[in-house]
Amino acid sequence: MVDRSHIVKSYEQELGQLRSMVSQMGGIVENQVALALSAIAEKNEEAASSATQQDPAVDALERDVEALAIRLLALRSPMASDLREIVATLKITGDLERIGDYASSIARRSLRIRSANEQITLTGLRSMGRLVQDNLRRSIDAITQQDSSRAMEVWHSDRAVDEYYTALFRELVTYMMEDPRNIRSCTELLFIAKNLERIGDHATNIAERVFYAVTGENLPAVRPRGGIATTENIVDVTDR
Amino acid sequence: MKPHGLSLALSSGDPLWFGIVLLTLAALIGWGVAFSTLRRLRYVRGCLTAQQEVMQNNRDEELPELPIDGFPGAVLLLDTLGALIQANREAVSQFGDSIGAILRHPAARGALSAALRAEAHAPEGTPPVCSTTFTLDVPIKRTMFLALRHIPSSKRLNDRILVVLTDRSEAHALDRMRIDFVTHASHELRTPLASLSGFIDALRNGGASTDDAVRQQFLDVMAQQSARMKRLIDRLLYLSRVQAHEHQKPQNVVEVSDLMALVLDEVAPRFEGEGYALNFDIEDDLFIHADEDELVQVMLNLIENALRYGKHDDKTLTVTLLARRAIEQDDRWPTEGGVVLSVKDDGRGMEAHHLPRLAERFYRVVNAEQAKRAQGSGLGLSIVRHIIDRHQGRMHMASAPNQGTSCLVWLPPSVGDVGADRVSCSVGSASAEDGELAEV
Repeated sequence: MVDRSHIVKSYEQELGQLRSMVSQMGGIVENQVALALSAIAEKNEEAASSATQQDPAVDALERDVEALAIRLLALRSPMASDLREIVATLKITGDLERIGDYASSIARRSLRIRSANEQITLTGLRSMGRLVQDNLRRSIDAITQQDSSRAMEVWHSDRAVDEYYTALFRELVTYMMEDPRNIRSCTELLFIAKNLERIGDHATNIAERVFYAVTGENLPAVRPRGGIATTENIVDVTDR
Repeated sequence: MKPHGLSLALSSGDPLWFGIVLLTLAALIGWGVAFSTLRRLRYVRGCLTAQQEVMQNNRDEELPELPIDGFPGAVLLLDTLGALIQANREAVSQFGDSIGAILRHPAARGALSAALRAEAHAPEGTPPVCSTTFTLDVPIKRTMFLALRHIPSSKRLNDRILVVLTDRSEAHALDRMRIDFVTHASHELRTPLASLSGFIDALRNGGASTDDAVRQQFLDVMAQQSARMKRLIDRLLYLSRVQAHEHQKPQNVVEVSDLMALVLDEVAPRFEGEGYALNFDIEDDLFIHADEDELVQVMLNLIENALRYGKHDDKTLTVTLLARRAIEQDDRWPTEGGVVLSVKDDGRGMEAHHLPRLAERFYRVVNAEQAKRAQGSGLGLSIVRHIIDRHQGRMHMASAPNQGTSCLVWLPPSVGDVGADRVSCSVGSASAEDGELAEV
């Protein structure tokens, strides 16, 4: 936690404090996602448990941010972009908190996948994970830099995440049909893929809110959607 | 009578007195006026100075007192809340995209509050340095080392945190590469093996195998796949052999034109087909200390890469081989003199961000359609890298999408090299000791 004893009670300082707390929360959540993914990729139980252990810190930060935001609204009656930023922050923390929950759910599930044949999809899952992580990073960068163009980037690249999800879904279902013994692991992997996809969606939500806070305009309600059409056009953007 | 007497005295009696009284009055009034004006002036001037001081202070607040731009390393300046105030040029060029992610990482935040706390405990002297190491996955996997120090000022608000960023990926990459190597090697072997055993099953179970033509087709695929496996295993063995004697310096003196003649003999058949062209320009009388076979392998691998990954479907691919004396004062190379061999193509090229990782084993510039066609082992450039390391040379690659790739190999001057005297030779071997730090 940031040392609170040094808050200078001026408006600017309080806004700075708010931003700092949101970015701290973003950092923890990002780290949770990274830990959860390494729990899957490397069978790292330690990473899995430390991902879940960070949940309370995120929850506490969410409450603190909320309290500070309400205080700012009540006492400072902010205007224009400040007002939008504070309101957006209230919602963004909600998204971040959900992302943290999904990450710890992934971490918990990662402990339950065990069998000899699950490596079949791990490469796909890893690439999807990287993509989601990158989107999350960019959306949190967008918050801290109040940068609408970054937000737009995230908004457009969620499509690739959806496509990955559809491809993984198909692959996993095939494995389950091949051999019923795979069903258990594959179901866990399916949930993990779904959680990653949800994380991607929340990152997009954040991007939309940042865009609103910065420009005062809303992005179209219909997002660019992927994953319905064929998956041929997926270009592997990650390093092997 | 007395007042009358006085007035009389004033009016008529003593003009001297009258003058004195008048002068005194005037002086008193004048001095009063002057004094108050002076005071007012001084007040105004005081105000002005105070205002200037305030402005000065404000400016001090906005401008950092620390000239971090000139610092030879990646340096950031933060406020006490951890928000970025300034990043120097080095930091932006090395970590530009990741600075945000680095600063908000829980480990970095922990170190930040530790640095702030540490100062509270030790109010005198220089605050201690707090440091932390952590790994980021995106945008590229890198291990960061952060060192933070609190720079206190008179007002808490103006306190700064000075952060020095160092990339420690190298050390961690070694571990990671070792693990990756086993995974990738088995993965690469498994793919052809799977198809091989698939066809074996098909043949054993009869069925399709009754038809001779189909049988033949199966056997062809099997031969192809087993050849691929053999190639991969040969490559792996070759790589480990190169690594094994990486620390022995090659002793033989080789003439570059002889070496290139061997290379040309070997690759000439590859350029006979449509769509490929080969140019070369090879200087005579270049001598290097080298292992001939290994350097032939280097050139073959580089040409192979150009052919395999460079070809546009509808354009002729021109590969150019050059061998010449290094240009004087070319700061890409560690010493004067030496020989530069290069393989250049005008094909697809690649994004610059792939370049640093190219020599990693099994690293490929993934591009779905290309990956399908190109059946490389993924080991070519790491073999090249190890051979060049053994020769205490350097490799330099440049590439841009659709503008081709050029690969330069620099080899240190040999004793027999015309124009390279003893002095430059000894310089060569001295700098070769830090060959460990070779750039790719």
